[in-house]
Amino acid sequence: MSIVSAVLPCYAADTAGVCSALYEMGGMTVVHDASGCNSTYATHDEPRWETVHADIYISALTEMDAIMGNDGKFIADVTAAAHDRKPKFIAICGSPMPMMTGTDFDAAAAEIEARTGLRCFAIHTNGMNDYLAGAADALLAVTQEFAQIREKAKGIGVSILGATPLDFGLSGTVGSLRTWLTENGFSVVSCLAVGQIDLEHAASASVSLVISQTGLKAAQYLHARFGIPYVCGLPVGTLAPVIADALRRSAQTGACAFPCAMRKPGDHVVIGEGIAAGSVAAASGGRVLHPLACAPQIAHPDDLHVPDERSVKEALEGLQPAQVTADPFYRYVLPKGTRLNALPHFAFSGRCFETEIPDLIGRACR
Amino acid sequence: MIKLAIYGKGGIGKSTCTANLSAALAVRGLRVIQIGCDPKADSTVNLLGGRAVTPVMDWLRAHDDDPGEYEEISAVGYGGVLCIETGGPTPGLGCAGRGIITTFSLLERLRLFERFQPDAVLYDVLGDVVCGGFAAPIREGYAEDVLIVTSGEKMALYAANNINSAVHNFEDRGYAKVRGLILNRRNVPGEDAKVRAFAESAGLPIAADIPRSDEISRCEDMGQTVIEGAPDSEAAKRFFALADKLLTR
Repeated sequence: MSIVSAVLPCYAADTAGVCSALYEMGGMTVVHDASGCNSTYATHDEPRWETVHADIYISALTEMDAIMGNDGKFIADVTAAAHDRKPKFIAICGSPMPMMTGTDFDAAAAEIEARTGLRCFAIHTNGMNDYLAGAADALLAVTQEFAQIREKAKGIGVSILGATPLDFGLSGTVGSLRTWLTENGFSVVSCLAVGQIDLEHAASASVSLVISQTGLKAAQYLHARFGIPYVCGLPVGTLAPVIADALRRSAQTGACAFPCAMRKPGDHVVIGEGIAAGSVAAASGGRVLHPLACAPQIAHPDDLHVPDERSVKEALEGLQPAQVTADPFYRYVLPKGTRLNALPHFAFSGRCFETEIPDLIGRACR
Repeated sequence: MIKLAIYGKGGIGKSTCTANLSAALAVRGLRVIQIGCDPKADSTVNLLGGRAVTPVMDWLRAHDDDPGEYEEISAVGYGGVLCIETGGPTPGLGCAGRGIITTFSLLERLRLFERFQPDAVLYDVLGDVVCGGFAAPIREGYAEDVLIVTSGEKMALYAANNINSAVHNFEDRGYAKVRGLILNRRNVPGEDAKVRAFAESAGLPIAADIPRSDEISRCEDMGQTVIEGAPDSEAAKRFFALADKLLTR
């Protein structure tokens, strides 16, 4: 019962992470789940649904299909849809019901691939984990599949990794990041996963810039496979020149860097996704509470992992910070007297504060 | 590495055969893991002197989090065999098949195989391949080979045929293959002919022929396999022969 949330909402699920990460990739994403659930993954958790076309499907899993283990229908339906849509690839992923019945998604993907001749891979979601897990696995899968070494960009080419609306909304952060990179003498060779993606060029970069943990696995793959170093951080406020220097240094030395984990002391607390929240904290002074999983190299020793509502409350009561930067829904668990700097997080509060999501680049953080 | 799943009708002697085979392989010098995939959680009791290891499902029920190390959900039995039981939900509730999948996922997170470095992993699986959970041991690279335990009893052969057909259904998926039968004799009339007829029709060899033996019962009363308690018995010799056959494959 320790993980029960009485006040706070939960973060978007791993399934939504997959759909968001692959939304603009030109593939077909199929969630094996009951009919109607597509509105959760591809509309409630997806601000692009009105403006950007995508092939996100739900398998319309029925009670009897689940009981009978009718994988054949799922495979046949995906195959038929793929013949109609002719996608670049097919990604299939699961939800709670196929998790319970033990659907073998790798085997299903192999059968779909054999029948369609299209690359098909399974992303192992079950709807029980947060969006970071699904999005990170999805970006890793497409990077492994499609990233190639093309002609290296002149100067320092940068791949942006981990840009999804679940973390940054559609407020302009990613566009501003592109502009900031260009103004600082870098060239953007790819951006996973919004706008001009250029996925095939991701391995042509001199360095990857990871702006949320949804891009971390892809960055680690590009580092291991192609020797491309990565820098974790978002160039917000005073952290911007630090990140620019880190990108230049990493491109030159091949070493990875984690500016988002460089904290100045302060009485400010930031709650959110590790890299974005860490960057805000690094720019403003203070510490981070991580409600989501956080890779060790992203976190600072003073950070606290707060995986449930009770631990968030206990941490805040213990710290008694003067101000907290977090999604507005965290207002309800703040200690008396603590001031909230609203930083809406789409993966947490969805459309509730969508219009208030800021363009973080260049923004003063306190 | 030997990666073997053992299936068969309920009560046919799967756990007896699996534990004796694990013990025989251990005596031959292999590092062996035996994973009981049955809510009854009694697969490894005769490797552990009659003691029971805490089943994984019981551990998870009692804790809010995963165990930190595989040692917390395993016990070392005769010959150094690492014994694990999936266990299951409260009888009459939940989903036992899902419990098996959850256990396997946990063992991966605990990096059991990388850390223990086994030479042989034996999965002792409840009854039929009744659902996705009970197929888990034969997919995703867990087991590569399946042996089906049967006697000459009609229902045992019926179950063996069902299991063989179920595994055949997964041929396109690269799952484990049925490699043979273990004839665990009940001394029913015409047993030899009935089992041989089934084996021939199914195209399966009889990999081992275990005699009905009071030694097995006597050893089990002491919480032992015949490999431990009666190593010179005929039954023990047959299990050693099966172990040697697996080693030479």
